[in-house]
Amino acid sequence: MLLELNNVSRTIKSGNKKITLLDAIDLYVEEGEFISLMGPSGSGKSTLLNCIGMLDDFTDGHYTFLEEPVHDMKSKQRSHLYKEYIGFVFQAYHLIDELTVYENIETPLLYKNVKSSERKALVADILDRFNIVGKKDLFPSQLSGGQQQLVGIARALITKPKLILADEPTGNLNSKQGLEIMELFSELNKEGVTIVQATHSESNAAFGSRIINLLDGKIVSM
Amino acid sequence: MLKNYFKIAWRNLKKNKGFTAINIIGLSLGIGCFVMISMFVIDELSYDHYHEKANRIYRINSDIVFGGTEMSMAVSSDPMGEALKRDYPEVEEYVRFYASQGAKLIKRGNEYINETAVTHADSTLFKIFTLPAMVGDTKTALNAPNTVVITEAVANRYFGSPELAIGQLLETDDDDGTLYKVTAVIENMPRNSQFNFDFFFSMANVDYDFGNYLSHNFHTYVLLKEETDYKAFNKNFIEIINKYILPQAAQFIQIDNMDEFEKSGNKLEYSLIPLTDIHLYSSRDVELSANGNIQYVYIFSAAALFILLLACINFMNLTTARSSGRAKEVGIRKVLGSEKKALIGQFLTESTLIAILALFMGLLFVWLSLDWFNGISGKEMLMTSLLGPKFLMFIFVLPFVVGGLAGIYPAFFLSSFQPIKVLKGKLSSGNKKNTLRNFLVVFQFATSIILIVGTVVIYKQINHIQNSNLGFNKDQVLVVNNSGLSRKTRESVKNEIEQLIDVKSASFAGFLPVGGSSRSDTTFSTETVMTESNGFNMQYWSVDYDYLETIGMEMKIGRNFSRDFGSDSTSVILNETAVKLTGFENPIGKKLYTTDQNNNLQVSTIIGVVKNFNFASLRENVGALSFKLGNNSWETAYRLGTTEIGGLLSTIENKYKSVAPEMPFKYEFLDEAFDDMYRQERRVGAVALVFSLLAIIIACLGLFGLATYIAEQRTKEIGIRKVLGASVINIVRMLSTDFVKLVMLAFIIATPIAWWFMSQWLQDFAFRINLSWLIFFATGFMALLIALITLSFQAVRSAMANPIKSLKTE
Repeated sequence: MLLELNNVSRTIKSGNKKITLLDAIDLYVEEGEFISLMGPSGSGKSTLLNCIGMLDDFTDGHYTFLEEPVHDMKSKQRSHLYKEYIGFVFQAYHLIDELTVYENIETPLLYKNVKSSERKALVADILDRFNIVGKKDLFPSQLSGGQQQLVGIARALITKPKLILADEPTGNLNSKQGLEIMELFSELNKEGVTIVQATHSESNAAFGSRIINLLDGKIVSM
Repeated sequence: MLKNYFKIAWRNLKKNKGFTAINIIGLSLGIGCFVMISMFVIDELSYDHYHEKANRIYRINSDIVFGGTEMSMAVSSDPMGEALKRDYPEVEEYVRFYASQGAKLIKRGNEYINETAVTHADSTLFKIFTLPAMVGDTKTALNAPNTVVITEAVANRYFGSPELAIGQLLETDDDDGTLYKVTAVIENMPRNSQFNFDFFFSMANVDYDFGNYLSHNFHTYVLLKEETDYKAFNKNFIEIINKYILPQAAQFIQIDNMDEFEKSGNKLEYSLIPLTDIHLYSSRDVELSANGNIQYVYIFSAAALFILLLACINFMNLTTARSSGRAKEVGIRKVLGSEKKALIGQFLTESTLIAILALFMGLLFVWLSLDWFNGISGKEMLMTSLLGPKFLMFIFVLPFVVGGLAGIYPAFFLSSFQPIKVLKGKLSSGNKKNTLRNFLVVFQFATSIILIVGTVVIYKQINHIQNSNLGFNKDQVLVVNNSGLSRKTRESVKNEIEQLIDVKSASFAGFLPVGGSSRSDTTFSTETVMTESNGFNMQYWSVDYDYLETIGMEMKIGRNFSRDFGSDSTSVILNETAVKLTGFENPIGKKLYTTDQNNNLQVSTIIGVVKNFNFASLRENVGALSFKLGNNSWETAYRLGTTEIGGLLSTIENKYKSVAPEMPFKYEFLDEAFDDMYRQERRVGAVALVFSLLAIIIACLGLFGLATYIAEQRTKEIGIRKVLGASVINIVRMLSTDFVKLVMLAFIIATPIAWWFMSQWLQDFAFRINLSWLIFFATGFMALLIALITLSFQAVRSAMANPIKSLKTE
């Protein structure tokens, strides 16, 4: 079992009103799964991803990651956990504009205090694998959207995470680029990386091994 | 990691060239100013510390109040040092300087050179002060009469080298040609000395009536034994007064004991001042050189710190205002696993990098402006002094301190962004309400306004002094030094020059109402027997018949000295203050009594009263003064009737050269000599001017940056408003109003502070300007205007922009 959500909710206060973003969700994710979260805007897909990624907290319920109770952890332990095991891919790529492709991919390794020689080897490997060696000294603004997302995925993978969380990874891409990214995801999934993606697109969702539909913060079908 | 930080910092700086420039220029002005003032302060604090025994050396100060005249002097009487050494074992040694003569003419080849850095000194000089010998033995150098110790510079100038100088004779104008043998050559004295002599002549050659406790003409320094408490030692002076001084004084006035003397408002007090305190804490009569002032050290340090702070504030304001630009990066880095600590480190690295760049530029500013600063501060600081170990350390640490100071707040601010919020673009750009930023802008402008008000007040006061009614006419008076000329020559050349058409009148004028001129005072009484109640002290100047006319003084009542009256040799003219001291209602014809050197009674008749004129600084009220007829021909004053000075001056010089070709023609203009008295104020004024300029420039740089940023932020809003029909003026007003409010608030805060500081400063002047409201309003208006101009650059540009462009981007 990679992670386990038991009856988790997230509510926020807006003025005097209490708004429920996630409502009593139960979810089990095994290692090696490829899950697609679907649902209309505001159904809670992103919130669920963020909470799983520990960027946000559930306000209720139990969250267990690799047999460890995340809901009881201090933020430092939590950040250690996600640094180690989780990679993020964003709709808007979120590359650092001032860093080159190479440096963007290298950054997570810096925060993990990986030695310089090892970093070089790891980055070189992944550049090679993604076929972007020739672009390593370019800045994000010099790349197309698909290429940027490729860099974003390479960056997420560089620390060899067990879980990749992707929030509409193809949302800003044209269909051809989107298809390539999705093919890459399923390839990664075959190699054993667990993937949870949020998406609007039926066709993209179909790449997943399991589709979960959300509506108003509730899981409506699994 | 650090490499990565530097890389991204560098790229960020390059990307935002405008803001980087504003930050670096502002900080470099602040750092440059700070380094310069640090050099100044360290130099000021270093005075006299180079003497090995500096912490045991003290000077004897004298404070005397007698007959309404108050004197705080840096000198004491000639037997004082010896008495202290004899009676108190704590006193290890003493040395006296006799420098009252001021200057000596010394013969080099065929001509006489006017040397001003001369003194007579006791042979114990070298036991107390550290003045290392290059040639000769300073232990014995001044033991015999007719000996002199000179510095290396003088040895080179007169003889070619220190080795060649030893044993040579120097001819001086003492007693028409006394010869002194050079017995030692010492290293040049460091600049940071409270006295700086080139010649030390032996004390034995001083023509003086030694043994007189009542005349104060010697700068006396004592060397106390280790661990002596000088403040406790000061009590011993009471014993000295009772044992030596009162018995001598009793010969001249009826005085029974000290209590009675003090009860009638008089005072006689001696005290020690540590050598190392003299430069910054002492400004007495007859100091050996113009000293510094600890107050100015404080004021300058504070101003430099404030300017550095203003520059740091710019950095803080611009960085936080532009935080949205960095927010995304912060979010991503956090998602990628960065901890807050690491981000703070990153932003501090950036600010430190900026500070390091600013430091180099600041040092460039220092290098470029050092000569100029030396000029206005009267110092001779060198760039190389920055290479001393202490300064290197200071300079090394400085960018880290500045970087930390400027960067710590933005670092915490930026690193605390929540990744989810910023990655979703929910972060408000932070330009609407930011209390801290507003506070900082107010602080910057308030500081600038205070500095500007200070500058304006200082300049107005100096102007006031230079144009106020002095009671004499300082303009177009040429004063020629007559030293080296015989009495007869002085007379004949004066008469000859007086015949020139453009010379209105001429007078022997040894005493002049400007600083640096001779002074002489005597005690008078209104009755034949002097008591403590009818005695008073006043200046007593010997002048000739033409003096009052030449210097331009006005009679109030009575008459001037006149050749038509044979009896004027016993006449005296008083000033208004002196009349008050006598208590006479109708002074003309009244008698005053005094004694001459041989203790014989002398009677003078008052023939006139001259209107009060300033003969001391305008910091003080006019003291009591009297004129008698006499021949003080040390200097000749000429009142000129033309403003075409050039030709006339060379004519006069030729007349002097023709009668005394080997003598230097030394002259000054009375108004320049007068202005010299206020040199320190003018220096302070110049430095204050620079400070306020820097402050306002830095504040405006910051304002410009903020305005640019906010205009950028509101581009779309401006576009929409224009499409809806807003005029350029509407937009400019919209963009400027908030800042204008801040500047006005700054003005309201600054006014009382500036008022308080400047009225304190003005207290030092007996003749001072009123702090009118106009100064404050004018300054406030100026600050507002400068701020508006700064703002309008940006505001007008964005208001003029074509709205289609700004709206198309979305």
